[in-house]
Amino acid sequence: MDTGVRNRKNKSSPEAEKAIKGKIEEITSVDNHNMLKESIEKLKHLNENINRDSVCDGGPKTDTTTLDRKGDGESAPDTPPPETAPEDSLTTPSPTTTTPSTTTTTPSTTRTTESTTKPSVTQKSSARQKSKNAAKSAAAAPPLELSLRLDGMSVFLFVLAFITRIWKLETPKGIVFDELHYGKYASLYMQNTFFFDSQPPLGKQLIALAAYIAGFDGNFKFDRIGTPYDPVVPVSAMRIVPAFFGSLLMPTVYNTMVELGLSHYTGALAAFLMIFDNAVLAQSRFILMEGILMFFGVFGLLCILKFRRFYHQPYSVPWFVCLIIGAASLSACVCVRYFGIFTFLLGLGILTRDFWMMVGDRLVSERQLLGHFLTRAVIFITIPVALYIGCFYVHLSLLYKAGPNDNIMTSAFQASLEGGLASIIANQPVKVVHGSQITLRHTHGRTCWLHSHDAVYPVKYPDGRGSSHQQQVTCYSYKDVNNWWIVKKPEVEELVVTEPHEPIKNGDLVQLVHGLTSRALNSHDVAAGMSPHNQEVAAYIDYNVSMPAQTTWRVEILNSELSDGYWHAVESQIRLIHVNSSQALKFSGRQLPDWGFRQHEVVTDKVLDQEDTIWNVEEHRYTRTEDKKEREKDLLRSEMIPMERKNLTFWNKLFELQYKMLFNNQENVAGHMYASEPLDWLFLKRGVAYWISANSNAQVHFIGNIVTWLSGTLSLVAYLGLFVLYLLRRQRACYDLPEDSWNKFCTFGEVLGIGYAVHYIPYFLVDRTLFLHHYMPAYIFKLCMLAAMIEHGHYLVSQHFKAPRIAKLYLGAVGVWMVSIVYVFWFFAPVTYGTTDLTADQVMSMAWRETWDLIIHKQ
Amino acid sequence: MAPNTSKSGKSTPKVSQKLNSVEKIFIKYRRCDSPQTWWIVFGVVCLLTAATRFYKVGEPEHVVWDETHFGKFGSWYINRTFFFDVHPPLGKMLIGAFGYLTGYDGMFPFVKPGDSYEGVSYLGMRVCCTAMGACLVPFAFIIVWEMTFSLPAATLAASLILFDVGLLTLTQYILLDPILLFFIMGSVVGIVKFHAQREKPFSISWWAWLCFTGSMLSGSVSTKFVGLFVVIYVGLHTIKSLWDLYGDLNNSLTYVAKHFLARALGLIVLPVVLYFVYFYIHLTVLCKSGNGDGFYSSAFQSQLEGNSLYNASMPLELAYGAEISLKNARTGGGYLHSHIHLYPEGSGARQQQITTYSHKDFNNKWLVKKWNEEPGDWEDDDPVELVKNGDLIRLEHVPTGRNLHSHREPSPVTKRHHQVTGYGENGMGDVNDVWRVEVVNGEEEEVVKTVVHKLRFVHYLVGCALMSHNKQLPKWGFEQMEVTCNPNVHDLNNLWNIEENVFPKLPNSSFEIYGPNFVEKFLESHTVMFQGNSGLKPKEGEITSQPWQWPINFKGQHFSGGKPRIYLLGNPVVFWGNLVALVCYFTLCTWNSFQIKRGYSISPNVRARRDKTLEACGWLVLAWGLHYLPFYAMGRILYFHHYFPALLFSSMLTGVILDYLLESLPSMVPQYLSSSVYPWLTGLFYSTLIYSFYLFAPLAYGMHNLDPSFENSTVHQIRWLDSWEF
Repeated sequence: MDTGVRNRKNKSSPEAEKAIKGKIEEITSVDNHNMLKESIEKLKHLNENINRDSVCDGGPKTDTTTLDRKGDGESAPDTPPPETAPEDSLTTPSPTTTTPSTTTTTPSTTRTTESTTKPSVTQKSSARQKSKNAAKSAAAAPPLELSLRLDGMSVFLFVLAFITRIWKLETPKGIVFDELHYGKYASLYMQNTFFFDSQPPLGKQLIALAAYIAGFDGNFKFDRIGTPYDPVVPVSAMRIVPAFFGSLLMPTVYNTMVELGLSHYTGALAAFLMIFDNAVLAQSRFILMEGILMFFGVFGLLCILKFRRFYHQPYSVPWFVCLIIGAASLSACVCVRYFGIFTFLLGLGILTRDFWMMVGDRLVSERQLLGHFLTRAVIFITIPVALYIGCFYVHLSLLYKAGPNDNIMTSAFQASLEGGLASIIANQPVKVVHGSQITLRHTHGRTCWLHSHDAVYPVKYPDGRGSSHQQQVTCYSYKDVNNWWIVKKPEVEELVVTEPHEPIKNGDLVQLVHGLTSRALNSHDVAAGMSPHNQEVAAYIDYNVSMPAQTTWRVEILNSELSDGYWHAVESQIRLIHVNSSQALKFSGRQLPDWGFRQHEVVTDKVLDQEDTIWNVEEHRYTRTEDKKEREKDLLRSEMIPMERKNLTFWNKLFELQYKMLFNNQENVAGHMYASEPLDWLFLKRGVAYWISANSNAQVHFIGNIVTWLSGTLSLVAYLGLFVLYLLRRQRACYDLPEDSWNKFCTFGEVLGIGYAVHYIPYFLVDRTLFLHHYMPAYIFKLCMLAAMIEHGHYLVSQHFKAPRIAKLYLGAVGVWMVSIVYVFWFFAPVTYGTTDLTADQVMSMAWRETWDLIIHKQ
Repeated sequence: MAPNTSKSGKSTPKVSQKLNSVEKIFIKYRRCDSPQTWWIVFGVVCLLTAATRFYKVGEPEHVVWDETHFGKFGSWYINRTFFFDVHPPLGKMLIGAFGYLTGYDGMFPFVKPGDSYEGVSYLGMRVCCTAMGACLVPFAFIIVWEMTFSLPAATLAASLILFDVGLLTLTQYILLDPILLFFIMGSVVGIVKFHAQREKPFSISWWAWLCFTGSMLSGSVSTKFVGLFVVIYVGLHTIKSLWDLYGDLNNSLTYVAKHFLARALGLIVLPVVLYFVYFYIHLTVLCKSGNGDGFYSSAFQSQLEGNSLYNASMPLELAYGAEISLKNARTGGGYLHSHIHLYPEGSGARQQQITTYSHKDFNNKWLVKKWNEEPGDWEDDDPVELVKNGDLIRLEHVPTGRNLHSHREPSPVTKRHHQVTGYGENGMGDVNDVWRVEVVNGEEEEVVKTVVHKLRFVHYLVGCALMSHNKQLPKWGFEQMEVTCNPNVHDLNNLWNIEENVFPKLPNSSFEIYGPNFVEKFLESHTVMFQGNSGLKPKEGEITSQPWQWPINFKGQHFSGGKPRIYLLGNPVVFWGNLVALVCYFTLCTWNSFQIKRGYSISPNVRARRDKTLEACGWLVLAWGLHYLPFYAMGRILYFHHYFPALLFSSMLTGVILDYLLESLPSMVPQYLSSSVYPWLTGLFYSTLIYSFYLFAPLAYGMHNLDPSFENSTVHQIRWLDSWEF
C-alpha cells in the first residue's frame, strides 16, 4: 500500500525529482569522476533507506535537514540514469554544507561526531527540564568534546536510572514475590543441585553468577514470600543484576528512538518515561527476569536498526559487529524467557524487510544478493543456536546433583545425577533375570509406576458396563511398596533367582507377579473402565469362571542394540506385548474415579507404536531366600553398577530437558488472587502485591505510573486513528504530511506499533494464569510510542498553527504533564520501594481505583 | 469434467485417428466461448454430484455419530422443549423444520449412536441435509468460474470437491456441517457474484446478490460460530473493493458513501436483523421446560412452561425475617446449601459444611436476620423492615439453626480462599457471622429484590466475598460443590441471587413483569453459549485431534461402529494434492514478486495470466487461512471435521493452480509434444482422482466385509497409513 502511494506521489511531483538531481550534483562536485558511480549507487541506497537519513539529520532545527528531506521519499527506480549525472555536475557547482551524501562516504567515526552536533542542543534543553546537574555538563565546548556529550546523555540517563534503581537496594530484607523462585534457583546453582523450570536458564545464571561472586553458598531456604533473608544471602549483589540491566535499558531506548529517526528530545523523553515508571522500576529492582529480558530485547533491536546505517559498506567491521551483536542479544532475550521469541521475530522481521528493500536495488547483483542472504542466514542461525545450547551446556554441567523435582525426568536422566536415584539404584544388578524384583516406570510423559493393590474393579460402571471384577492395576505417581513386581518365566515355577541366571532377552515371554499380592499381570477382552475401546488390565484372580488367565507378555526392547538384546535396568526401554491379544501395555492418561483411588488407568492398546506404551525398569533387585545368602554375595559382587553417576551425553540430556520443558505443563496457579487478564492491562486495572512487612503496613505493590500508563494507551489509539485518517486522505490524493514526515510516521509506527502488538496480542491466546508483569515488554514499546506521538503532536502543532506561541504552549503542556508524572512516581514510591511504614490512611489514599487491592493489615 | 475424462479415456486407443476431433473439443473446452459449453459441463458436474451424494443416502439405518445430538435437538424443536447447546440455533431449527415437513413426529429419543431407526421417518431430514451438502460442488464451480473465467479451473476445483470422500461422508447425515458448509460457500458465491456486478452498481441484480450474500452470512454465523471466519473474509473482500472505489478520484465522495451505506445495509444490518430473527424464533418456539433450564438464570427459567418458577409469585422485596434460597448467579450455579455434617479433621475448623447443591431441597432455606437482633426479639406487629443495599445481615440455616460463618482458615479444596462454615446454636453465633449485602450496580439504600438483583455477600471482618464454583468436594462432602470466601471480591463467581422468598407479611407479586424481555434473553443465551463453548476443554490425558494433523489427513473419525462401518477420512489424493498446490502457490508468489521487484521483463501475456491466477489464489489462500489457522489458537476440544470449511477453499485453490500449470506446460515442452500434453495430463489427473474415489468410497458408503481374517479385502489394501483406524 505504502509504496504504491509513494510512487503515485512521485509521479505527481516534479520538484522532488529536481531535488534528487540536485543531490547528485552535490556529490559529483565533492568526489572526482572515478568515484562517481559508486556514490550514485550509495545515494540510491540512501533513498531507499529513508531512516538513515532522518537519523543523520535528526535535529529539527538545522537548515540542511529541510533541504535533505526533499529527496527522502523517492524510490530508487525513478531516479535518473547514472549517465546523465556527470553532465549536470559540470554545470552547477555544489553548496559546501555537509550533506547526507558526504556522511555516507565518511567513516563511521566521523559520523558519530557529526550526529552529536544536534544532540548537544537536545541534551541541553531536556536536561533543563529534568535536573540541574545535566545543565552544567551541557555548556558550550569545542567540537572534539561533542562526541563525549552524546555519551553524556546516555550516561546521564543510565546514572539517573541506576540511582533510582539501587536506592536502598537491600530493603525490603525479605523475599519479594518471584524472588522466591529465582532466589531458590540461584541457591540451587550454588549447590549444583538439579532443578526443573520451564523457562530457559540464562537470566537465572546471571543472577547466580552475581551471587557466586558475592560468596553465596546457597544455604538459605527460599520457602515463602516474605521470609526475611539471612545475612548470608547477598541480596544486594543478586538484585544489582536486574537493576544494572534495567538501567542500561534507558540509554538503549534513547538510542533506539534516535535510530528510528526521531529527535533526541524524543529519545530522552522515552527514557524519562521509563525511568519514572513505578512498574519498570519494580521489575528491575528485585530478583526478577523482566529487567534483563527487556534490555536484551531492546538492545538487539537497536543493533538491527543500526545495521541499516552500514548498508553501503557491506562486510565492513561495523556491519558485522551490528549484525552479530544484534543476533546475540536477541537470542539472549530468548534464553532468558521463551516469550522473548517474539522480540527475536520482530528483529528478524526488520532484517527481512530491509533485505527485501535491497532486492529492489538493481545495482546489487543477484550474486551479491545471494551472498547477503547467506551471510545473514548463517549469522542468524549459528549464533542463536550456539548461545542457546551454550547456556544449556552450562546449566547441565553445573547441575549434576539430584534435586527436589527431578522425578519429572526419565530414570536414565535421574541416574545421571549424583545422589537421588543414582544412589538408590547404585549396587543394583543390571540384567533383569527370572526372579528379578522390579519397579516399572512409565518412561515418557507423566511420571508414574505400574502399581497394583488389594482392591478390585467395581462390578458395574455407572454407564452400565461390567468389569472383570479382578484386582486393579494402575499407574501410581508416588514411590510405593506396591509398585514392586517379580519377573517370572512362564515355564519356571519358583520365584527365586535361579542359578545360573536366566536373563530376559528381547522377545522373551514373561509373567509379572505383583510382589505383595502375588497375582500375575493379566489382560483380557473386557473394556477398560475409563477407556472402553481399550482392554482392561488386571491382576488375575481365579474366580473359576469362564475367564481364563492370559498372563503371558512378550518383552520388546526398543533400544536392544545398547544391551546386546538383554533387558537392562534403567536404560532399556521396553514395551510389554500381551501375547493373547497382541496389544501393548499402555498408560491411558485417564484418571480413575474414587474406586481406583484417583490413580491413573492402565490398559492395553492395539496401536503399539506410541509413547505411552514405553516403560523401563527403575529399581531392581534379585529375589533371594534366606538360606542362599552366600550365593547372593557372589552374585552382587559379580554384577554391580558402579557407584558414580552414569554418564548420559550432553545431547541426550539436552534433548530430554527440551522435550520436558516444552511439553510438561508445570502446575498452573489457577485463580491467583492477583492474576489479571490482558484487557485489564490496558488500563492498569490491577496490580500485584509483591511483599508486605510483617510488622507494619510497609509493602511492595507492583503497579505502574497511572499517568504514563493511560497516556500510553491513548497514544496507541491516537496513532491508529491518525494512521487511518492519513491513509484515507492519501487514497484521495490529499497529502497532509510531506513525504518525509509521512515516512517517519510509518517507520516508527512499523517498529513500535508492530512491536507492541507482537508482545501483547499473543497473551490473548495463552491459556494460563497471567500477571501484570507479563505486559512489561509490550509496555516498553507503548512508552516509546507515547514519546514518538508527542513529537508528532509537536510537529502537527507547529505545522498547522503558524504562531510559535501555540507550539510553545504545547511544549508547556508537555512539561506540566511530565511534572505530573514525576509527582505520581513520587507519590507511589513508598509502595514501589517498600521502605516506608505506612498508616492505613496512607495506604487507602493510594488505592486510586477500587480494584487496586493494596493491603492493610495493621490499623 | 466428466465429458473430457470420458473423451480423453476414449481417445487412448485410437489416438492417431481421433486426434483432431479430441483436440477440437479440448480447445472448445479450454476457451469456453459459448455458453452452451459452459452449461453442458456444469450440468454434468451437477448430475455426478447428485448421483454420488444420494447414492445409499438412507444407509446406515441407525443413528450415526452426532446425529444423536442434532436429531435430538430437531425433535425438541418439534416438541417445543427448551434445551441448551453451544451452537446458535439456525442449523438445528432447519433440521427440525426438515423433520416437521417430511412427517417426522419428534418422538424418537436419539439416545446413542447405533440406535436403529425402525419405523422412524428419518429419511427426510437426511435427504434435506444431503441436498444442502450437494450444493457445495456447483457452488465451487461458480466461485472458481467467477474468479478466473476458466472452465478447466472451475471443473478441476468442483471435481476435487466432488470426489473427496470425507466431504461426502460429512454431508450425508443429519449434522450441522452440511448446513454450515452450504452457508459458507453460499456467502462466497454471493460475494464473487456481487463483485461481478460491479459494472452496473445499484441495479436489481447488484442488490439481489448483495442481499443474497448478507442472508448467507447470517446463515453461517447462526449455524455455528466458526461461520464468523467467512464473515471476516467477506468483510475484507468488501473493504478491498470499497478502498478501490474510494481511491478512484473520478468517484465523488457521496458516490462512495452511497456504496458504503448500501454494503453496510446488505452485509451488516441485514445479517444482524436475520440473526435476531432466528433467535426470536428459537426462543419463541422453545417455550416448555426441558433439561437445559439449569444453565439459565432464575429469571430466565420463570418464563418456561413447566418450570417450578413459572407463574410463581412471591414477595418482590426482601425483608428481615424472610426465608430465602440463594442461587449462585454463574452459569449452572447451585443453591447455597448446608446439612448437619461437619467438615472432616484436617480441613479447617470442624464446623458444619456449607456447599452448593443443584437440586431444590429443604436444606437450601436460609433465614435473613439483622446483624445484631434475633427474630425472637421482634414483635408480631413491628413494621416490616426491608433489607437495603449495604446492610449488615446474618443468614441462619433454617433446618439446623446455624449461621453462615467464615474465618481465616483455608478452604478445603481451594486453599487460597477462606473456609465457610455453619456456626452457632439456634442462631446464636459470633461476630464472624456478619455479612454485608451488596447489590451489583445498585444505588445506595436500594431495597434488595428477589430474582432481579445480583447480590454479593462480603464478610464483614475478613473482607472476602461468598463464592461458589464447580469444584467438587470429596466424598465427605457428598461431592457437592465447594463454597468459599474469596479474597478477590470482584470475582464473577461471587454473585448470587435470591430465587425463593417466603415472607407472609409482604404481598406476593408475580414475576411476569420482571421476566427478561427478548433482548435480555438473547444476551443471556449468548453468555451461556460462550461459557459452554470455552468449557469444552479436553480433559487430562484425553487425546484430541491436533490442527497440524488435518491437512495431512493423519487420522479420521469413526462415524458408525456398527454394520456397515463408516469412517470419516479425506481422499488422500485430494488432501495431499492440496498441500502440493499450496507449496506451488507460495513458490509462484515469491518468484513473481521477486521478478517484479528486480524489474525483470515479463511478457504481457504471461503477466496477465499470472496476475489473474495470483489474485484468485490470494483470495482463496486467505479464506483457507482464515478457516484453518485460528484453530491453533483455540483451547477447546477439536475434531478432524473442523478442517472441512478450509478444505473447500484449499481444493478450489488447487483447481486454479493446476489450471495455471496445465496451461503453462505446453510452452515448456518440445514442440511436437505441446499439443498432446494438455489432454494427456488432464486425462491422467481425472483418472487418478476417480480411481482414488472408487478406492476410498467404501469408507463413506459403508464397509461390510470387515472380518480381520479377510486380509485381502480392499479395505485392508487402502489402509495406507497406520494411523487410519478403520
